[in-house]
Amino acid sequence: MTVQVRKLDKVAIIDCSGDVDLSSSPRLREALMAEIKASGPGVLVNMSGVAYIDSSGIATLVEGLQHSRQTKTHFGLFGLRQNARSVLELARLHKVFTIFDNEAEALEKIGSVKPFDGV
Amino acid sequence: MTRIVLGSEPRLLNVLRAVVKFRAQEAGFSQSDSEYIALAVDEAAANIIRHTYHGCHDEHMALEIHLQPDRLEFILEDWGPKVCEDKIRPRPLDDLRPGGLGTFFIYSFMDECSYEQDYKKGNRLKLVKFLSGKGACANDGSSAKAR
Repeated sequence: MTVQVRKLDKVAIIDCSGDVDLSSSPRLREALMAEIKASGPGVLVNMSGVAYIDSSGIATLVEGLQHSRQTKTHFGLFGLRQNARSVLELARLHKVFTIFDNEAEALEKIGSVKPFDGV
Repeated sequence: MTRIVLGSEPRLLNVLRAVVKFRAQEAGFSQSDSEYIALAVDEAAANIIRHTYHGCHDEHMALEIHLQPDRLEFILEDWGPKVCEDKIRPRPLDDLRPGGLGTFFIYSFMDECSYEQDYKKGNRLKLVKFLSGKGACANDGSSAKAR
C-alpha cells in the first residue's frame, strides 16, 4: 500500500492505494492523524486506488472520523471502489462517513459539510 | 486439500488472501463473493495475530482448504493459548468505535464458524461456505452459525 499526501486549497488529500489491511493500516493512520492534528480546514481520503480494505483499515477511518470531530475538521472519503463501498455498507458506515464520488465533487462540497455531518 | 503454513506476520496476510480467493473462484464462487470469503478468512487470521499471538511475528499458523461436494471449508490452526469462544461476539453496529468489525465480517460472509473443541495444541477454527446459492454472501452479520 502507498500513502501520499498533497494539499489543494488548504485541504489535505491523502492518496491511498493498494491493500489496506492489518499490515498497512498503521501507515494510513499515521498520515490521517497527522493531517487532522494539523487542523487544516479539511481532510479527504482518496480511496480510488484501494483494492482491498479490512476491518483494521475501516477502524483507521473511524478513528480518523472521531478525531476530526474533536478538531472540527471536515473529513470525507472519495473514489470508493465497489468492494470497499460494499464493506462499508455492510458495516452500516456508509451513512456515518461523508462519501463523495470523486475528487472534484469532494473539493467542491467539503467546505459545506459540517464536521459533524453524517453522524 | 490445500495446506499452507505462514508466519504470524501481518504482511503475509495478502498471500493468504490470494490463496483463498483463488480456491474460492476455482470452486465456482463469483469474483466478488470470493473476495468476501477471502476477507472473512483474512479477518480470522488477523485475529490470531492480534489476539492469540498478541502481535508477535515469530509464531505460525496454518490454513487448510477443503473442497467438499457441497461446501468449501477453511481450517485455521494456531498453536497459541485456547480461545474463549464465549468472548467472541461481533460488536453492535450502532456502537461507533474503531475495531470490533472483524468478527462481524466473518459471521457475515461465512455460513458456519466453529472451534474444534478436542484440539489440544492450540486452536482450530473451521469456517464453512456452502456452494449452494453461490453469490449469497450474507449482509447482516447473522449468517454464520456458531456450532
